[in-house]
Amino acid sequence: MEKEELLQQIRSFATQKLITKEEISLAYDEGSEHSKAWSFGRKLGIAQILYYVGGAIVFLGISIFVWQTWGTHGIVTKILATLGSGVAAYIVGVLFSRDEKLQTVGSAFYFVSALVMPIGLYVVFDNAGFDAGSYGTQSLISGILFATYLVSYLVFRKDVFTLFSIIFGTWFFFSFTDFIVGGRPHFSDLKFFEYRALAAGLTYILLGYSLAQDKKALAGFLYSFGILGFLGAAFALGGWLPDRNVFWELVFPGLAFGAILSSIYLKSRSFLVFGSLYLMGYILKITHEYFTSGLGWPFALVLAGLMLIVVGYISFYLNKKYISS
Amino acid sequence: MDAKKNIPLIVGISIPILMILFVAASIYLPLLFMHTKPEFNFLYVTGDYLLGSQYSVENGKLVKHEFKDDEGRWPSIMRRRGDAKLFVHDVTKNESRQISFEEAQSLDLNSNIKSPDGFEIVHGSRGGGPWPFFGFSETDYNTVYIKGHNISRKLNVQQTERHFGDFHFLGWINN
Repeated sequence: MEKEELLQQIRSFATQKLITKEEISLAYDEGSEHSKAWSFGRKLGIAQILYYVGGAIVFLGISIFVWQTWGTHGIVTKILATLGSGVAAYIVGVLFSRDEKLQTVGSAFYFVSALVMPIGLYVVFDNAGFDAGSYGTQSLISGILFATYLVSYLVFRKDVFTLFSIIFGTWFFFSFTDFIVGGRPHFSDLKFFEYRALAAGLTYILLGYSLAQDKKALAGFLYSFGILGFLGAAFALGGWLPDRNVFWELVFPGLAFGAILSSIYLKSRSFLVFGSLYLMGYILKITHEYFTSGLGWPFALVLAGLMLIVVGYISFYLNKKYISS
Repeated sequence: MDAKKNIPLIVGISIPILMILFVAASIYLPLLFMHTKPEFNFLYVTGDYLLGSQYSVENGKLVKHEFKDDEGRWPSIMRRRGDAKLFVHDVTKNESRQISFEEAQSLDLNSNIKSPDGFEIVHGSRGGGPWPFFGFSETDYNTVYIKGHNISRKLNVQQTERHFGDFHFLGWINN
């Protein structure tokens, strides 16, 4: 079909109200997605992987240089070697990204900048007399990085900035809440961490869902870490004898089954895998906690083993029927 | 993008923001609407490094225990008894005043952990939990709080050195 013929067909369909503008736009987007050069919309090739490996090695080199020469260099050299390198990598990334053929190389430089800039900011704050390990300083550093990459995303619309914004935003969330709480005795360190991990996991899942149509790889990353954190936190909140929490122990199987069933709707293997693994972990935990004394350890093991087989089979069946296909 | 498509995104972004607001509110709001304010001042000691404290409260009075180490068996840090300082903390003004042993001996003390109005003196947490980034964590153990009736407030107590266990609560001062 010729292009003019196709356009004529669309005009005709539009006149008869058989097609909407959104459907045409969606079809265009789906078609053009395969040719996009950005790094998270398609699978990485060998060349792209090498770009990122190279970026990680550059980061390693800078880190070792800073570590080896920490005592011998002045403040200016330290800042130039760290923050300067990070800013330079960012600028190189911007310059490369302007050329469509070099966009992936540009992303690799953004990757270097995201790795090096936190070290640079630590050096700056450390030399300015701040306690670099304190939550206040961590909140400042993560806040600056989060704002930098969020603004970068709004300006350049690159997916790599979405990823960095999420990572630095998560860091900011944890360090800032730690900063607010300090060491207040009303907050148990571990429980507080678990509730925040629960919230962060849920946020990742929802962000992944909202990005699933346009940015599948990024959505997959968010789903994996989201469900891992969410179920992990819910599992840990259940506690262990003698400090178990009955509410979370009762709610957890619902959450794990919910994750397994959601995997069908979301077409997400990570939901299925982590949902099944956590459910298996839960079965073992509950068997150990509640049934070993009444049923006896050998019988409880048989029961747990049978239940694990059932969960494994359901997981395999769902994957084959709904996800792989 | 239509609004319906944006709902998961909005909810997702709102969760951490709401949690930050909730945490801040749970700390600061009870302080604003605090009905029961701590009334009892307390006595504490700092720099008392002996194995066990040289000061204790017996029958409502402060007692000083003698310790002899003629053979010099204990490390010097354990024998720094002369550095120990006694303080009275005014819970209303949130400030401490150093007092002499003789002055402290005249106080009527209650060595229960909880004050008669339901408050207790506690240390901050020892660590920041399983923090995933950069392995940093900070301890707040040297910070002292007054805790009770669902609130906790940081106390401006005197500490001679940044040393674990430098602060030792001795007793509430009966009014």
